Amino acid sequence: MSITVGVLALQGAFYEHVQLLKQAAANLATETHASPKWEFIEVRTPQELDRCDALILPGGESTTISLVAARSNLLEPLRDFVKVHRRPTWGTCAGLILLAESANRTKKGGQELIGGLDVRVNRNHFGRQTESFQAPLDLPFLNSCGKDQPPFPAVFIRAPVVEKILPHEEGIQTSEVGRDETVVAPSKHVKDQAALDAMATQVEVLATLPGRAAKLASEGRNIDADKEAGDIIAVKQGNVFGTSFHPELTGDARIHSWWLRQVEESVRRRRKLRATLVDALHYRKTIQRILMCVILDEAEATGCLRKSVESHHKPFNFSTSVSIIHESVPLLCRKN
Amino acid sequence: MASQQNGTNGASASNDFTVKAGLAQMLKGGVIMDVVNAEQARIAEEAGAAAVMALERVPADIRAQGGVARMSDPSMIKEIMEAVTIPVMAKARIGHFVECQILEAIGIDYIDESEVLTPADDIYHVTKHNFKAPFVCGCRNLGEALRRISEGAAMIRTKGEAGTGDVVEAVKHMRTVNAQIARARAILQSSPDYEPELRAFARELEVPYELLRETAEKGRLPVVNFAAGGVATPADAALMMQLGCDGVFVGSGIFKSGDAKKRAKAIVQAVTHYKDPKVLAEVSEGLGEAMVGINVSQMAESDKLAKRGW
Repeated sequence: MSITVGVLALQGAFYEHVQLLKQAAANLATETHASPKWEFIEVRTPQELDRCDALILPGGESTTISLVAARSNLLEPLRDFVKVHRRPTWGTCAGLILLAESANRTKKGGQELIGGLDVRVNRNHFGRQTESFQAPLDLPFLNSCGKDQPPFPAVFIRAPVVEKILPHEEGIQTSEVGRDETVVAPSKHVKDQAALDAMATQVEVLATLPGRAAKLASEGRNIDADKEAGDIIAVKQGNVFGTSFHPELTGDARIHSWWLRQVEESVRRRRKLRATLVDALHYRKTIQRILMCVILDEAEATGCLRKSVESHHKPFNFSTSVSIIHESVPLLCRKN
Repeated sequence: MASQQNGTNGASASNDFTVKAGLAQMLKGGVIMDVVNAEQARIAEEAGAAAVMALERVPADIRAQGGVARMSDPSMIKEIMEAVTIPVMAKARIGHFVECQILEAIGIDYIDESEVLTPADDIYHVTKHNFKAPFVCGCRNLGEALRRISEGAAMIRTKGEAGTGDVVEAVKHMRTVNAQIARARAILQSSPDYEPELRAFARELEVPYELLRETAEKGRLPVVNFAAGGVATPADAALMMQLGCDGVFVGSGIFKSGDAKKRAKAIVQAVTHYKDPKVLAEVSEGLGEAMVGINVSQMAESDKLAKRGW
């Protein structure tokens, strides 16, 4: 099986993601025998996006990425990728902002969002560059790769946080529209069963940054009470995963490995579903043909319907109907 | 005492290099534009600039007006910081660590210790490690680049020849850096016992050996490297990208041209799609007048800014 993963390469740290994806794929290959054949590509055009089974939106400047995406005719294809086809997508930092259904503290006049995560993101939450930092993080979701994982070295650069988990809405986040300095993503509807299967109405909080709120309070800084629980810095909702920090700036490929496993599972599910649909279509056609043969046989016997049936369909004779039934019945029996 | 020779605002060095160099990595594939007021900063942000450089006079004006060029008025920098949400950089004079302290105190995102301003120290560059704010510095060759990095710079740019609209010097500086990295890499790969020769090359470049070895191993500078100095058109920007730059600074090139908005957008598109001549052709159309250039080959040596710093 081959899987193509794209990294949006309009601006930002896309090269770093490609390097770490390669490292992660090499790690996965040593773990399992049936590892898929991974291909990692930089995405700058709608044609390149079309080739992708999954996508990473890297860190960078979210305003730049959304403006360049719009001018490169990529904004709508990106929204379709994430919200109509519901393919696996991961955003880091600027990528998380773009994947949020709602974002505040954007530039004057707002900015375009892709959406996909029912959250409100607060841009540059920690402040300017002098407030950027690195922190060791316990990421419980990595424990699936083995117990007692060492902390992950998370790098936060002018980072956003998830300020609020929003209820899932069909259509745009109406409750967010009226808020000051807040932009929302346009709505999109899923198209097929595969996309529906990949969707989730609940946002899972995968990691928070604990203790920061308490620390600020101890310094006498005024903070919002509901932030006491810690800042939300990693979330997942169905096909969409977002982190406010930058795993691509470390040499640590654990999150990339974890995500590639999710991608592989999702792609397998999708391809299986597609195969099933193709099978189902095949069975339907076969049944139609059998029924047609039965009608024709009846017609043969009675000699009265034949003409009208023939005027609509290719004539069947008895021997072809028998052979078709011989072929089909065992298949049908097995299916049932 | 060291702190008197090169004082900082007392930040600990623990706000480590990953975080400083990391912001530069976030700017990659982007354009950083010189702006002199909030209005220009907004135009730059709308055009898709990844950051802006706040300064009182663009290099072309500094060149024309002469005199001593210093750090900009903090109130003007603060206005620009208020106006946009993208990172804001500002320039300090070479060696003027107090200007750097002031810039850090007002919360600037990146400090450019720049040869475009009049140097304040003819021997020492600022020791940049202990500042919380990250630094970008210019270079003409690998020696200058690695010396700046060893002083703590988290991002490098070519010096080029600012304010001329002539890209020849930026090309020369980028090619020089590339050729010297290629030579270091060739030494590294030439034999298992590469150390004596690489040490000799480090001496020749006047740079720390460990840093040169790291560069040779990576086959590139250990930090992000942007083009700067003389970039005036989308084609200039794409040229620098194809030569291996990670992004582009545009100084006088935008706001000294006929249609600043259009040119700014075009250069942003050109830096993303630098390998796609069709897009480059499209965005190069109908940009109006480019900045009036100065041919570097006809300039007096004493007028060249790139010679400042060492």
